[in-house]
Amino acid sequence: MKLSKSLLSAILIGIAIQ
Amino acid sequence: MPKVLSAVACNLDANILAACLPLMEESRIEAIEWSFDALYKVKEVPAWFRELLTTFSNEKRLIGHGVFFSLFSGKWLPEQENWLKHLEQTAAEFQFDHITEHFGFMTGKDFHRGAPLNIPYTTATLNIGRDRLKRIYEACKRPVGLENLAFSYSLDEVKRHGAFLEQLLEPVNGFIILDLHNLYCQLQNFNISFDEMIALYPLDRVREIHISGGSWDDSAAAPDRSIRRDTHDDTVPPEVFQLLEMTIARCPHLKYVVLEQLGNGLVTEESKRCFYDDFLQMEEIVRKNSDENDADSSDPFLPLSSLLTGTAVEDMTLYQQQLELSAILESSASYTEAMHALRQSSLANSDWRIEQWEPYMIETAVKIAQKWKK
Repeated sequence: MKLSKSLLSAILIGIAIQ
Repeated sequence: MPKVLSAVACNLDANILAACLPLMEESRIEAIEWSFDALYKVKEVPAWFRELLTTFSNEKRLIGHGVFFSLFSGKWLPEQENWLKHLEQTAAEFQFDHITEHFGFMTGKDFHRGAPLNIPYTTATLNIGRDRLKRIYEACKRPVGLENLAFSYSLDEVKRHGAFLEQLLEPVNGFIILDLHNLYCQLQNFNISFDEMIALYPLDRVREIHISGGSWDDSAAAPDRSIRRDTHDDTVPPEVFQLLEMTIARCPHLKYVVLEQLGNGLVTEESKRCFYDDFLQMEEIVRKNSDENDADSSDPFLPLSSLLTGTAVEDMTLYQQQLELSAILESSASYTEAMHALRQSSLANSDWRIEQWEPYMIETAVKIAQKWKK
């Protein structure tokens, strides 16, 4: 399923602070 | 067979999400399975994780997998009531395609500690399980399923598990998660063939398949053998991919194949690369066995008639035996001590059939119970 670039970026940032 | 979706178990775990991210960037993940009850210590779910869930939910590609309900607890617990309320709230926020739980009762006095272990297959436990499944359905109003258990004490239990699952699910017209690593554990730990084993499962009730890795454990009770354990901390072994190849075409109502691995097994870059490779291998097997043109959106696993749930079914004798068994497993210093205590307990000469339990599986149960009571 295609995810938006903004969501993928948010996940990437989320991982960093998670 | 309808179109089958390649999915991952995706929870709020940095290592899992980091392993999934390359697959998400390539738009490979078609659905996600979320353990909706595993965030009980998180005060606030981050907005980005909520958005991820909502994105899949909006496409009816989000499935919920409960962990802590303890389906077969002989006593109806306040924590189970709260669990259902939480499920009802969560199902109102997210559009789950279905909801599943684990088979068994949870050891441990704390609702959020313990591991699911097997129960005797009796009319009493059947009635408790059916009652709980109806309550789960009433809370979520979505198809309800149960996962086959990885752990058994005896070959007799292994052989009766599939038929008991079918009896349990019949009133809610529910489905089975066929966890192939769990099946692999049973094949290895009880020296039973795949053909004999798979014939004992109602494959027309399989809507979801799990694949995962695990680990081997030494046994003092059986020094010549290794015990296969469902620890989800390693890559998917070739044997489990082989089981997927052999099983997938035999499940006419299959909709999801889910790759599971825990975050503690995904710490290194190498482990994340292996997770990616495992997904691609799974995806290829799914693609070969999926009818891309069949976008059947019907729900074959919704109840066929209205469900009645009155007072919760309980069996206090069973509950006391569960407490007694948990205490023995959690406190025994060795499997011989556990076996001695079991022979002196109320489980002796009962429906639990402890006389048939394999010493090496009692030893494993002690290890599992003591691992999760910490």
